[in-house]
Amino acid sequence: MVDDARLADLRRKFGRAPAAPSEPAPAKRTPREAQPRFRGLESGHRACQGCGEALAARLVVECAGPDVMIANATGCLEVFTTAWPESAWRVPWAHSLFENAAAVASGMEAAMKAKGRNTKVLAFGGDGGTYDIGFQALSGMLERYHNVLYVCYDNEAYMNTGIQRSSSTPHAATTTTSPAGKERMGKRHLKKDLLSIIAAHHIPYTASASVAFPQDLQRKVRHAMGIDGPAFLVVHSPCPLGWRHDSRLTIDVARKAVECGLFPLVELERGALTNVMPIREVRPVADYLKPQGRFAHLFSDDVRAQEERDHLQALADYNIQVYGLTGEGQDPADTGGAAAVGRSGRAPRGNDGAARRVS
Amino acid sequence: MTILTRGAYGEPGTSLAFKTGNWRSTERPVHIHAKAPCHAACPAGEDQQAWFAKLQEGKAEEAWRVLVAANPMPGVTGRVCPHPCESACNRAALDGALAIHNVERWLGDEAVKHGWAYPVDAPAADAPTVAIIGAGPGGLSAAYHAVRNGLRATIYEAGPEAGGLLRSAIPRTRLPREALDAELERLCALPGIDVRFRQRLGRDVSVEELRAEHAAVLLAPGCQEGWEWSVSGAVPADHHEGLALLKEFMDHGQFPSARRVIVHGGGNTAIDLCRLLKRSGVEEVTLVTASALPGPDTDPADVINVVPRELEEALEEEVAVIEHATVNRLVMRGSRITGAEIVSLKKVPGPGGRKKRVSFEGTERVVEVDMVIPCIGERVDPEGLNGLVKRGYLRPDDAWGTLGEKLYALGDARGDRGTVAEAIGDGARVIGAITARLAGAEPLADGRAEMPASGLNPTYYERLPKAKAPKLPIEDRTFDTEIEGDIGGTATMAEAQRCLSCGDCLACDNCWTFCPDNAVIKTVELARDGSHYLFDLDFCKGCGLCAAECPTGYIQMQPEFAVETA
Repeated sequence: MVDDARLADLRRKFGRAPAAPSEPAPAKRTPREAQPRFRGLESGHRACQGCGEALAARLVVECAGPDVMIANATGCLEVFTTAWPESAWRVPWAHSLFENAAAVASGMEAAMKAKGRNTKVLAFGGDGGTYDIGFQALSGMLERYHNVLYVCYDNEAYMNTGIQRSSSTPHAATTTTSPAGKERMGKRHLKKDLLSIIAAHHIPYTASASVAFPQDLQRKVRHAMGIDGPAFLVVHSPCPLGWRHDSRLTIDVARKAVECGLFPLVELERGALTNVMPIREVRPVADYLKPQGRFAHLFSDDVRAQEERDHLQALADYNIQVYGLTGEGQDPADTGGAAAVGRSGRAPRGNDGAARRVS
Repeated sequence: MTILTRGAYGEPGTSLAFKTGNWRSTERPVHIHAKAPCHAACPAGEDQQAWFAKLQEGKAEEAWRVLVAANPMPGVTGRVCPHPCESACNRAALDGALAIHNVERWLGDEAVKHGWAYPVDAPAADAPTVAIIGAGPGGLSAAYHAVRNGLRATIYEAGPEAGGLLRSAIPRTRLPREALDAELERLCALPGIDVRFRQRLGRDVSVEELRAEHAAVLLAPGCQEGWEWSVSGAVPADHHEGLALLKEFMDHGQFPSARRVIVHGGGNTAIDLCRLLKRSGVEEVTLVTASALPGPDTDPADVINVVPRELEEALEEEVAVIEHATVNRLVMRGSRITGAEIVSLKKVPGPGGRKKRVSFEGTERVVEVDMVIPCIGERVDPEGLNGLVKRGYLRPDDAWGTLGEKLYALGDARGDRGTVAEAIGDGARVIGAITARLAGAEPLADGRAEMPASGLNPTYYERLPKAKAPKLPIEDRTFDTEIEGDIGGTATMAEAQRCLSCGDCLACDNCWTFCPDNAVIKTVELARDGSHYLFDLDFCKGCGLCAAECPTGYIQMQPEFAVETA
């Protein structure tokens, strides 16, 4: 049975025209206010053109909100969303220091608990504030088992301060502190395997996601929101400025990172691998590297270029093997099926966004 | 006005005061509805993308209505059209072109089955009238479009039935009479269309009389006369011209007896004849054509101009083909043919950009045959068209078919047409021109650009297998039963999901989802361009992400200052 009162209420809320003259006229709302999604992160923020992090944060808050509060580490996200006295956030949000987002979130969670409120606490950090500087605060938060969802926006370097290497920067990428040149072909060391470290805390849920697969990302956020305990999500978020690719290629580059195996999309529960997004057609790593200026030296005449390319290819192959990323035929949850759209947003064949279960 | 807060905090959402749109320096996103390649290729002017969109929503009747806005005979063209739309389909590069042809046929048959009403209103009693000569596909289409545009139409048909060459020259195995009759009956019964049978031009009516009585006269007589054919002056006593022979067979169901036959030509009539002859028991049927069979290396301009499916089936049925050749001479004993001299020939570029045929000396060979049937084309019967026929055809001045004041030509009689779909398209074009000129304007062509496969983002399309129509096995093929079957409703709806929606908004939400700046606003009510989204240029930084991730190419980045005039 249709609940007329609720229907009228929804119409008012979303500004649709009433079905009959007797119904109440829609309230005056701007089209922006009438968007059928939660606007946790508003326009007017100062992110660069094509910013992957701005997109990732919006996607997360959109499906986590509105009953959330956020502790944010220092970084691009903090800077570009809150140019005093303005704020792009429409949820309670706090910034303290670079290293303590997890600690501040722990305190916020404890306070909510003391007040008997169910507001979920989120902690946001970049890869610098998570892999490096905020790492011990994060480990402590997980160990104390706070009911917090920690989201790391991984753009693989300190972008806010001008592209310095972090422990998340991939091998062979050039940054201002790991420049490619006579001595080295970009960063000498490997990208830190943070997921395994986090999973070793034996927490309920650890996952990786990518801005190129928003439905998959939001499914993971919704799952994490339902967990009473610590959860960790790392979102691969390209930075056109730091990765030196065209601003329109943000999604394309992020998708290729997943499709070549360098950034596997996986889920771990209590430390055990439970879900992966299979790759329908595995791409060569070069497809991912080519559009990015930070890997341009790998396509130069330098004799070491081929070796480093092969090294990155071997790392991707290793991920594919370890996580079992090779797809079998057409799977609605693989990289091809997860991207598929149809008229009115639906994929042509039943794609519920659920990844394959690992038995 | 900016509110300065005391202490380090900001009010929620206040960043909206900061318009990041002024960061855009060179380009902004715009919605551009480019032509889908199927639409651009359709001789009948259908917008296949538009009616596939309705099918994707599960609305079959609405899809049919959009289809018949251009082509009132989908049940016919869905059977006989060489479907250049499928050849142009962007999905071919992905996992096979859409089965547009089969879906069109299904829609046409559904309309007949359920009696869906044509989306036309009865024209006013005092509406201007047009006179149409010939009730073939071109004439009927013109009458239908006349009514759609508020005019009345009177068709003068020399024969006792409507349909023209659909009835006289297309075998029942391709177009069953029930399907043809059902659609034409519905069409002729529309208010405002008056069909007068047994009215021959020159005998019962004249162009001048009609021109005096009507707002316009449309000549769609078709081509009824075979070109004279003689090879080195010799014509056998039992000479049969292709189209006449085909018509005779359609009426009487019999061919003159022969054991080995050469059909000389390269069109659908030639292929139809070959197949019917083969099925009627002729041992060897050979098609001699100046063109080539389609192949990976064949120049598209050189490929034999027939329905691809028909050629495929003819080869299945063991019709032999001699490519790049012509019949040079007949070997006669008395007035009977005993053989034919074949010579290799090719169309090569000649002066003035026109192709010329060159036969190669030294390649002559004699083939033993009992009968040679030329299918080298037909021309307009000049009766009643004094002074209008130029070199066999009416040859109008422009695409609108203008022959003179209030006088238009359409269909095969133009001389530069050759398919049912082209005749149907001509009907719409001529009426478009007449309607515009009655209103004191000139007709305008659709100048929109076409969306190439390179303009799409194929990532977002799921691989889906193409529907395949059932076919009668070779041994069951007769003269009456239709060879290609119906794909059915379920396969049609599945096929509809394969449409890429080239150049038109799919409402997939990609732009809305991916914009890092929330500069895409989702709104059906306010998006006047037919999409579901607006660009909020106050906040759009011009990164181009929406254009890159738009699956259909509907979003394009355009120079900032050129947009205003577009």
